[in-house]
Amino acid sequence: MSEAVVLAADIAAGHDGDAELVVTVRYENGVVGVVSLDADCAFDIMQSCGAASSADLVGRSWHEVLKGV
Amino acid sequence: MYDILIKNGLVIDGAGTKAVLSDVGIKDGKILAIGENLKDGGQQVLDAAGLVVSPGFIDPHTHFDVQLLWDGAAKPALEHGVTSIIPGNCSLSLAPLKAEDRKTLIGMFQQIEELPPAAFTDAFEWTWETFSDYRAAIEGDLSVNVAPLVGHSVIRLWVMGADAQQRAARPDEIEAMQDLLRDCLNAGAVGLSTSFVDVDENARPVPSRFAQFQELDALCAVLGEFGRMLQIVPEFYDTDITIARIDQLAELSLKHKIPTTLSPVFDNRQSPNNVPRTLARIEEQTARGARVWPQMQTRPIDISFSLLRPSLFFARLPSWVKILRLPVTERISALRDPATADKLVADVGEDGGERLMGRLIVRGGGEAPEHLVGRTLGDIAAERGEVPARALITLSLENDLEIAFLAANGGHDSTDRIGPMLANPLVHIGASDGGAHLTSFSTYGDTGYLFSEFVRKSGALTLEHAVQKITSEPAEIWGLKDRGMLKTGYAADVVIFDPSTIDRGIERPVFDMPGGGMRYVRDSIGVDTVLVNGQIAWAKGAYTNAQTGQICALA
Repeated sequence: MSEAVVLAADIAAGHDGDAELVVTVRYENGVVGVVSLDADCAFDIMQSCGAASSADLVGRSWHEVLKGV
Repeated sequence: MYDILIKNGLVIDGAGTKAVLSDVGIKDGKILAIGENLKDGGQQVLDAAGLVVSPGFIDPHTHFDVQLLWDGAAKPALEHGVTSIIPGNCSLSLAPLKAEDRKTLIGMFQQIEELPPAAFTDAFEWTWETFSDYRAAIEGDLSVNVAPLVGHSVIRLWVMGADAQQRAARPDEIEAMQDLLRDCLNAGAVGLSTSFVDVDENARPVPSRFAQFQELDALCAVLGEFGRMLQIVPEFYDTDITIARIDQLAELSLKHKIPTTLSPVFDNRQSPNNVPRTLARIEEQTARGARVWPQMQTRPIDISFSLLRPSLFFARLPSWVKILRLPVTERISALRDPATADKLVADVGEDGGERLMGRLIVRGGGEAPEHLVGRTLGDIAAERGEVPARALITLSLENDLEIAFLAANGGHDSTDRIGPMLANPLVHIGASDGGAHLTSFSTYGDTGYLFSEFVRKSGALTLEHAVQKITSEPAEIWGLKDRGMLKTGYAADVVIFDPSTIDRGIERPVFDMPGGGMRYVRDSIGVDTVLVNGQIAWAKGAYTNAQTGQICALA
């Protein structure tokens, strides 16, 4: 079983008009899901895992990324 | 003789049947007759030649609870043809509310509605604690019809006090909540709203989020005594959790024989399977006999930001993120530093940000200079002899960073995808949030946009179908008695509009909230006349003094 990885990280408009980070994740069981993160959370995880930009999240371990939350 | 006779209009009755040229006769607030060449004459005759005559529109997801205390027309909703509104969504209503809990609730309302503090201190007197007394406080001055929800959070607050935001309820407290909800329903509440998402001004979960399922189940048992609605805000940012909520709603609907609705449901390119999966589960549960209505808004969502707060708009620009995450004073110093600014501009690319930033629009409100409002950054930059990225920095510095920019259509914006979703018989058009998010974006004009974008432009819905989706369908879903159709004996809530022009105006800031507070609004386009319970409430671009709005009777 492979580990969960980030397949994509895109910016979209959230319900309240703020930009949100939409992260597409392929989980260990092969299921692909989407998680929306607000700005504070998104910047925190980017900083935590040393991602210079949202694009740098692609290919990373989802569980490593989550450590920044 | 009729009180008002509407002649020669293209009558769309709201039931989905084909439009016909006809007259509509109104007397004593009701529709008395519909037919060709009505003979009895009218004290007032309105010539609707070339125009559509339809039932008044119904907005099922609003937060006008506070505004109704000084503005019974819920402006500008009424001028868009909205004749009935449902406030009290998302677990928050203004009643029942003990005097000692007002401050707590104000914080929650300010978080959602973005009303200025003066709205709660200067604009009205708190004359109520019970739901029936709140009803009395608004009832005499209404120009729109209101079917108010009662909020789960305030019911918890009444029964549990501060503990409502700390723990699950005991059995005796749940019983007390049931009694209180029953009182509210007896006083005319259209149902109960709850939220699994919302937070207060301190980012703490609102009281409804501390409820265990047994509590919601017990409250739905009371809704079942009346056959009334449960509205929820699900975890809409996650499809799987939303689907789990749909299953939960379906069980509650079947067990207690109640209608339920969840809002909002969004579509965007980044999660294209969200709505299809959501609707597939709705279809399955509907086939089981459950009544679960997903609400979808018509309007796209715009991204709005200023350099006062770090926005994910810059998430792909590491140097910008680094600067924008600095404390404000350091951020301003860094932006003023020529070398830093040069690097930021260089990092957006060789085009100076034309592609990424050129189409940003300067928003009104805040400190934005009037002559720049509504113009694109690319246009302003060209005028200043700068590239867009440089103009973004200099304009922000010139205005203490308090100048907001808008990236239009950042989500829920694919007309080709959303049109068929709105036309889906399982989808409830709503989720406008009217009266909320005041300083972030305009929540008015979604009905005009339905006609301009999804009837005229894309043809996803016929004119008759679009009218049905915002008149008879919501009236039936919510159990609004004798509304939502042009039918003899029904309330004379009527909109006369030009089908070739009806639309929403551009978003603009106004300062008409108590204490001069700002909000964004959109004017109506193509709406000629609006009648509420047989009286003209808005005509030819102006409000009248009619105050014939009612608390909606329920089926």
